[in-house]
Amino acid sequence: MKKWLKFLLVAGGIGLLAGLALLYWIFNKPHRDVSKEKGIQLTSQQLFEAFRKDEAVANGLYLDKAIEISGTVAEVSTNQEGQKVVNFSTDDPFFTINCTFKTDPGNLQPGDSIVFKGICTGYIPDASVVINEGVLIK
Amino acid sequence: MKYLFTICLTTFALLSFQTLNAQKTFGTRNGQIIFQSPTDQDVKAINNEVNSRLSDNGSLSFSLLIKSFRFKMAEMQDHFNTEYLHSNQFPRGDFKGTITNIKTVNFNQDGIYPVEVTGDLTLHGVTKKVSSKGSITIKNGKPLAKASFPIIVKDFGIKAEDVTEKVTITVNCQYQ
Repeated sequence: MKKWLKFLLVAGGIGLLAGLALLYWIFNKPHRDVSKEKGIQLTSQQLFEAFRKDEAVANGLYLDKAIEISGTVAEVSTNQEGQKVVNFSTDDPFFTINCTFKTDPGNLQPGDSIVFKGICTGYIPDASVVINEGVLIK
Repeated sequence: MKYLFTICLTTFALLSFQTLNAQKTFGTRNGQIIFQSPTDQDVKAINNEVNSRLSDNGSLSFSLLIKSFRFKMAEMQDHFNTEYLHSNQFPRGDFKGTITNIKTVNFNQDGIYPVEVTGDLTLHGVTKKVSSKGSITIKNGKPLAKASFPIIVKDFGIKAEDVTEKVTITVNCQYQ
């Protein structure tokens, strides 16, 4: 076989493999696993106050970050996809920290104090600070 | 006697006024909104943390966080946030509107009521008027709102590929 043809075949093969690997990576890249990340520790009240005071600053500190929150359960419900949703109370009766759990946190009751970790997705004025991918710590 | 009569009449008038204006509002912090490409089933993002309020006078609002959208593929979710919706710069999407035929909905009677909604949708920092047909289902006094309508993403200043030129927004919100 001619040298240049051999080189072309090898280069083409490597390119094809690299392309396939890239495609495989794109389709199978795992989602973030918050349970393996170190969370920023704070209370549900502190998180609420940070957003109430200055949304832009709080977004810079917490948006898309893993956070570990300790708070008091105000309400437990199930969303339309069957995931457990827990609202944590703040000093404003109309405002909650709303967390959708990735794994079932078990039988929680209003008034329970828990620590959980999740990803902060932002602030909805007059309603809630939203956290998803929640996992119970204790 | 005259004073007593006046007090009774005023109390009655105030109570009647309050009853006439008693407006019932339903809410949810965990409604569902789906963005989906009509040409590629894999391009689908689900948000289960939609804050919404529906009043029996017809006012309807939705507020959602772009980072709350979940894709099956993590890579697609990253691109959606960083290259298309720029969710650090524009973290929220909002809709404020009215159900134009709200008088046909009986909130005290179980049933499925076809509705027409019109209002302002804000995405990516751009506000546009949108209209949609949908339904309100009343079951045990609690409403479920459903609607589905297309948007042209370029209208909202969002970069578009072939499969995402048009996106269908599907609303599915169970109120408390």
